[in-house]
Amino acid sequence: MNEETMLSKLKTVAGSEVVRLATVRNEVVFSIPVEKWVDVVSALVEDWGIYHLSAITLQQREESPEEIEVMYHFWHGLGVTFRLAVPVDRPELPSIIAIIPGADFYEREAAEMFGIVFKGREETPPLLLPDDWDQGPPLRRKETDD
Amino acid sequence: MTKTTIPIGPQHPLLKEPISLNIDISGEDVLGGSLRIGYVHRGIERLAQERTYVQNVHLIERICGICSHVHTTTYCYAVESLLGVEIPVRAQYIRALMCELERIHSHLLWFGILAKHVGLEMVFMHSWHNREIVLDIMEALSGGRVIHAANQIGGVRFDLDAEREAMVRNMLHKLEEQVGGVLDGIVHETSIRARTRGVAPITAEQIRQYCVVGPVARASGVDVDMRRDDPLPPYDRLDFNVITHQDGDAWARTMVRVEETRESLKLCEMILDQMPGGPVTTRVSRKVPAGETVVRSEAPRGEVFYYLRSVGSDHPARLKIRTPTLAALSLIPVQLSEIQVADIPVVLAGIDLCIACADR
Repeated sequence: MNEETMLSKLKTVAGSEVVRLATVRNEVVFSIPVEKWVDVVSALVEDWGIYHLSAITLQQREESPEEIEVMYHFWHGLGVTFRLAVPVDRPELPSIIAIIPGADFYEREAAEMFGIVFKGREETPPLLLPDDWDQGPPLRRKETDD
Repeated sequence: MTKTTIPIGPQHPLLKEPISLNIDISGEDVLGGSLRIGYVHRGIERLAQERTYVQNVHLIERICGICSHVHTTTYCYAVESLLGVEIPVRAQYIRALMCELERIHSHLLWFGILAKHVGLEMVFMHSWHNREIVLDIMEALSGGRVIHAANQIGGVRFDLDAEREAMVRNMLHKLEEQVGGVLDGIVHETSIRARTRGVAPITAEQIRQYCVVGPVARASGVDVDMRRDDPLPPYDRLDFNVITHQDGDAWARTMVRVEETRESLKLCEMILDQMPGGPVTTRVSRKVPAGETVVRSEAPRGEVFYYLRSVGSDHPARLKIRTPTLAALSLIPVQLSEIQVADIPVVLAGIDLCIACADR
């Protein structure tokens, strides 16, 4: 599936807000509205056969520290990344483990490192941090970060 | 019969790395299990943001004590792609040679662990003896047995002269002769077969659902190998077979690794034959232009994923690392059911866990 076909298919599922952002190395990046994310993942896995989630990357960019950028990196012979954004003061995302069980550990890591609340799953127990960690999500942007 | 939960780890003589497993059993039947990692979490992603690109090569190498070289290779390619630099072809070949030696060393280590778990002390000894030869080759090349420090941004840190190349070829021949016997032994040895055949099968559907990669995926018939599918140079110029198996059980996972070891031995020879002359480094700027990139490569355990973003300074704004073991770990609770207690070591060994990689 080439980039144009994928963009038009994504638009039929998630509406006109889908934007092709860039191609980095050989990875295509699309921006997806959060409320359409579960529909997009269902279509990816069930209709288009794109099932391999390589990783979930989170970050706060210097120019927009008020939002957490969440990138889902998929692989289907080509890399494709879906970029979502959630506000820092209300970091909620729908969980996709019902569709992709392999996303479980990645969501748990996102929850503890960036404080994301995943809706639609019972709990996100700590994965890497100690059980009694009480210093907040450690990968969130700090004031000292330049 | 009543359910009993056996806690294993995080510190336990059975384990080589710290992981906590809780396994529910009833008599000899395993009912299920859960796991907890994080005991060797070093916060490498955060540390990397606070160090320079050059310092990070040394930090990244310490993610894993087995596949240390593939991590720095992937990281260096990511930085070089942002720099817009192509490293000299000879350096690409030296990187690939180290990657393949690392794969042989990792798989030989794994055969030893499997043999130890099924009670075959002799195969364990032979396998690890041969692994020593691989470590000797890597030491002869780079000066390091486990931490090789072979990579630098812009190339590799050492070159092979004719004398050292001849020595490496000799050692490779010796390895090929000896390891062939061990691999044949693993294939024909009836007790390995008896302990692994039909044990803990994973279907291709499960591989897809749990996003599992590497030899475990290939043993279930999922034909994926980043060396072929998204090749970093010089893999696009090398001719090799991607080994798959259809059965998906612990035996298939063993056979895939046996054949992969043979392929990697061939690849080492091929790399030495094809390696052109020329420099092994190119000068690069310490500051990396703003941009972001994604690089995937094939570690001994499967796809390694790196995301790197730069804002134009001398240190990364974000470095994300996903190791193959993290993908495979979520499958373990699924595998720990409908097996017998005696199968637990074979199941755990079959995945080839690297906890330090998963924890980062």
